[in-house]
Amino acid sequence: MLDALDTPGVHHALYAVGSMALFSIGLYGLLTRRHLLKIFMSLAIMEMAVYLLFIGLTTQPGRTAPILSDGLVEFAGTADPVPQALTLTALVIALAVLALGVSMSIRYHQLTGTTDVETMSALKDP
Amino acid sequence: MDQILLQSPLLTPTPIWLIALPLLVAFLSPLWGRARWPLLFGVHLGLFALALWLLAGVQDGPLIETLVIAPPLGIHLHADAVSLLLVALLTFAVALVAAFLWQGARAPHWQSRQAFVLIMLLSAGCNGMLLTGDLFNLYVFIEIAGVSAYLLSALRRDAAALEAGLKYLIIGAVSAVFILFATVLTYITTGTLNLAAIGMAFADIPAAMQILIGLLLLVGLGIKAELFPFNVWVPEIYRGSDPEASALFSGVVVKAFLFVLFNLVFLILADPAVVGRWLMILGGVTMVIAELTALRQRDLRRMLAYSSLGQVGLITLALGFAETTVVAGGLFHLVNHTLAKLLLFMVAALMLSRASSGHLDALTGIARRLPLAAGLFVLGSLSMLGLPPLAGFMSKLWIMAGFAEAGVFWPIALILLGALLEAAYFFRWIALFYRPVPAPRLASDPVGLPTASSAVTWPLLVLAVLLIGFGLAPVLLEPALNLAAEVLLDRSGAIEAVMGVRP
Amino acid sequence: MRLFLRVLSLMVVVTPAVTWFAWDGALVWPLFGGATLSFDVTPLASFFLLLLAMGAPLAALPMLRKEEPDWQLALFALLVLGMQGLLLAQDLVGFFIGWEIMTWSSWLLIVRSPRTDAGTAASYILFNLSAAFLLLAGLLGVYSLTGSFAIQALVDLTLAQGLVLVLLFGAAFLIKIGTLPLHLWIPRSYDQAPEPVTVVLSALVSKMGVYGLLLMLILFPEMPGRWFGDWLNGPLSGYGLAWIGVITSIVATFKAIAQDDMKRLLAYSSIGQLGYVTTAIGVGGALGISGALYHALVHTLVSLLLFISFAGIIAQTGQRRFNDLGELIYRMPISFFGVLIGIIALAGMPPLPGFASKFLIFVALIEAQWILLFAAVILSSAAAFLYCYKLIYAPFLGQANSPEARVAREAPWPYLIPQIILMGMLVGLGMFPGMGTALADPVLAALGLAPLDGPSLGTLATPYGGYDGVTLMLVFGIAFALVTALFYMLRGQLRRAGSRQDLSFAGEVPTPDQPLHYGAGMGRELRRIPLIGWILARSSSGFFSGLAERVERLAEHSSRLYPSQPWRWVQSFVVVFAVLLTWGLVRGGGL
Repeated sequence: MLDALDTPGVHHALYAVGSMALFSIGLYGLLTRRHLLKIFMSLAIMEMAVYLLFIGLTTQPGRTAPILSDGLVEFAGTADPVPQALTLTALVIALAVLALGVSMSIRYHQLTGTTDVETMSALKDP
Repeated sequence: MDQILLQSPLLTPTPIWLIALPLLVAFLSPLWGRARWPLLFGVHLGLFALALWLLAGVQDGPLIETLVIAPPLGIHLHADAVSLLLVALLTFAVALVAAFLWQGARAPHWQSRQAFVLIMLLSAGCNGMLLTGDLFNLYVFIEIAGVSAYLLSALRRDAAALEAGLKYLIIGAVSAVFILFATVLTYITTGTLNLAAIGMAFADIPAAMQILIGLLLLVGLGIKAELFPFNVWVPEIYRGSDPEASALFSGVVVKAFLFVLFNLVFLILADPAVVGRWLMILGGVTMVIAELTALRQRDLRRMLAYSSLGQVGLITLALGFAETTVVAGGLFHLVNHTLAKLLLFMVAALMLSRASSGHLDALTGIARRLPLAAGLFVLGSLSMLGLPPLAGFMSKLWIMAGFAEAGVFWPIALILLGALLEAAYFFRWIALFYRPVPAPRLASDPVGLPTASSAVTWPLLVLAVLLIGFGLAPVLLEPALNLAAEVLLDRSGAIEAVMGVRP
Repeated sequence: MRLFLRVLSLMVVVTPAVTWFAWDGALVWPLFGGATLSFDVTPLASFFLLLLAMGAPLAALPMLRKEEPDWQLALFALLVLGMQGLLLAQDLVGFFIGWEIMTWSSWLLIVRSPRTDAGTAASYILFNLSAAFLLLAGLLGVYSLTGSFAIQALVDLTLAQGLVLVLLFGAAFLIKIGTLPLHLWIPRSYDQAPEPVTVVLSALVSKMGVYGLLLMLILFPEMPGRWFGDWLNGPLSGYGLAWIGVITSIVATFKAIAQDDMKRLLAYSSIGQLGYVTTAIGVGGALGISGALYHALVHTLVSLLLFISFAGIIAQTGQRRFNDLGELIYRMPISFFGVLIGIIALAGMPPLPGFASKFLIFVALIEAQWILLFAAVILSSAAAFLYCYKLIYAPFLGQANSPEARVAREAPWPYLIPQIILMGMLVGLGMFPGMGTALADPVLAALGLAPLDGPSLGTLATPYGGYDGVTLMLVFGIAFALVTALFYMLRGQLRRAGSRQDLSFAGEVPTPDQPLHYGAGMGRELRRIPLIGWILARSSSGFFSGLAERVERLAEHSSRLYPSQPWRWVQSFVVVFAVLLTWGLVRGGGL
């Protein structure tokens, strides 16, 4: 009954709407949260939204992962391999940046006892 | 030409070494021990020589170096007269900063291995950004340069530096999201990530999508290239970082991003006139607002940050005009700004090592203790303002003469207004440096760091000599700059070199 | 190293003289885009180069003293190079380069003085850079019209093009000359600059503005004729310029009279004298231009002489206010004669050459039949006597009003040698007034005017009469000798007062700290004269400081655009992004 919905157009629309929603949630968090870790989480959510969009829009229902194994010898019936590879790379980078941010936050907390970007004041000039 | 290079042995000098060598040396950092700083200097001097050597070879057309598969499917490096010119400039700049740190940085955080690795990574990232011919690769190199920049900013690890580093990281991550978003949309709509192929296909995608991608790139790259209103983060970061790091940000990283921005504009858009006009306006606004705001700054680093923004605005104003003479002048100004800003930030580093803070009051009368540094500051600011006989004058004159030739006068008025505002604050700082102050305030060294050897001044003197030299004889650079401007504006040539067909 | 620097600087300082005597052939230096800088000596440049060649070594002598810092001479050498460059330049870029080197090197000379405050430093550089950038805008305008930077006659301009260019260049040079209301930077910077530097600023740097103004005659040959029509037998533009000059000289003269500080008085006097030069240029014609050049020459010599003399006094006493000096005639006799000769020339009295130059200007005004202007020039010339009187009386006569003035000694040789040379030059030029017009004649020829062609160097000849300088000088010399001899013969019979306070007037007996010379308080009463009081109470400084304040306030607003919280940054990006996106989508079309 719902087969009519199982078309690339509907899938892509769903992915687009979903990832935009996710992006907006991240952006909202970025604009309203003051806690450093929450800011990093918001950024991570925004990035995830972009990945989701990328993966979602470059594949179609019924396609398999572009992995050459289990008897598959060519990229027929698989999703486009490029976005998947790129997303993996981007994920690694994002993870590294996130880890860096978190570790710097911890260090900053140890030094100043605060995690609130609003009260950061070391750069204020007298 | 690329076939010949492909068949040659691994060790022939090809553009990939400009990226691979710094990465390699950085990853092998435990091996280097105390030789780190000479190595950093030497490697970049070598890369500088390599870039010049390659530059001599691309006079007639770009050098396409294929990695893995041939373009447009694979990834390639696109080394042409303009990107190699910038690589040469940036490696030279890094070499000078390295020499300065080698001789002058006595603070423990600059002595550490991290600093060495980070500068290497920064340089690899920037060279990659300049040379890559692939949009996603561009993103990766942007992140490499970005991460090392965040860490360099926080290198001092006190509250101020960490605050700057955290803020830089947040804003950098936002910029990265925008760039990644644009990359993703580009791939979805055009099905390719090769820049030349995108250039061919971009005109065919829906108009709304073009605008969305363009704006995403504008925000993403505008943040990193310090264009108003996306540059609001800059003063905070430069204020918190060490001046040595700010020298790299302002002299190296920003320049790479400016190139990326304009390379994309000129490569992807069939008619860059409209976008160029908007970028000119953006540049003009950036310049005037930044110079105006700089009037009120009471901290040396913050003042230099605003001055940097102003100059970036001027360069954008010139490059956005998309006309060979003005673009050549803009590239000349880009070179001069890098040289002068490196000089000013290194002088600021020297001054900060002797004064209790970068505040106006703490630096009053510093010229008596650091006469040479103050003199070099005067020289650097004269070039920054565009006063003869220094290089900054020649490049501003070049830009303005180009505008005058084209009969467009509002940028000239803006540039002169900006220069007047710039003069107001630079000369105020100089007057303060030379103000006589009562002796007791100068008596003790407040920081107590071991003083740097006098060899620390030779990178500064090299910069001073270059500023005077280019000011007296701009003809030295003229052929290279004209060629670079032509290549930067020659969209069909760049696309043909990769795709084999003219668009 | 120190000696080397000094010798090198001195060698640079005498280069204008070498250039003037021995220049042959042009020098060409490549710029970019096929443009070149070329340097050569034109007749006009040659005249001003002569001023530089005479003035620079003389002004350098006081800087050679051990008390003066090393950088002063070095920066002065740079300043001389800049001025020489702008005089020799055959194209506007070379001119601008020299102009700017002159600007920033003179600013560095001023700013390193301990007396210079932040306001002076800022006003000096901002006024001068504004002038420079107007000049730059003007030269770019010329470039866009002709496609070259060469200094050449611009013909066939439309009224709008011509007007814009003339205003840009004219404003630039009038700022440098310091005409009203653009003179504000002059008194404070001349006052606060180190004494040897003030000499240079007044005698040489200000003349470069005059050179620029004369250059405009070459650039815009059609300016008087075609553009603005005629007014009272002459071109309207020249008439306007002449009035600017006269008003400058009147106001500056009255301000000078009211000054209490020697260098400030001389600064205003310098503004006033250059006002005459501006007037003469405005009058134009062979007599006017000749008068302008002649007066520029005389003013160079006079301001060198006076500023060096007063530099000597300040160096010996540490005092710079008239009320703190006095009675120096016994202690500094050579300086006294220096100032005496200087003020006679400054006031334009015969037999010294100040008379000759003013004579030319007067004759030019009469020839043009601009009678109102003539009356105004006479008024300001007459008023100038008052401050000249103050200059000689207050420091040298009366009683000494400070301990330093009581024990002062004659100024050291580095001050005296240039004074003696300059006195000789002034007397010589007074005796041979034809020399000045002979020097100006090639310039007139280059500007397409008929040279004055005096019959001999000893006479000043104009179509409206002239005089014989040798006779005049002899008459005055003999009269001077007679009066002096009479004074010495009668000296024994003059009644001598017991002390200088040995007098009483209006029932009061003066106290020792009361300055008794007539110069004290002179100008205070001027404020009660209706028009003059109004002039003295006005100043354009309010306008400029208001402008500065407004810019500062604007800067305060713009600094709010740079917040320090990351979420605010992102907020602004999102807003800008959303606005641009909406606008782009509504507008339709791609990139």
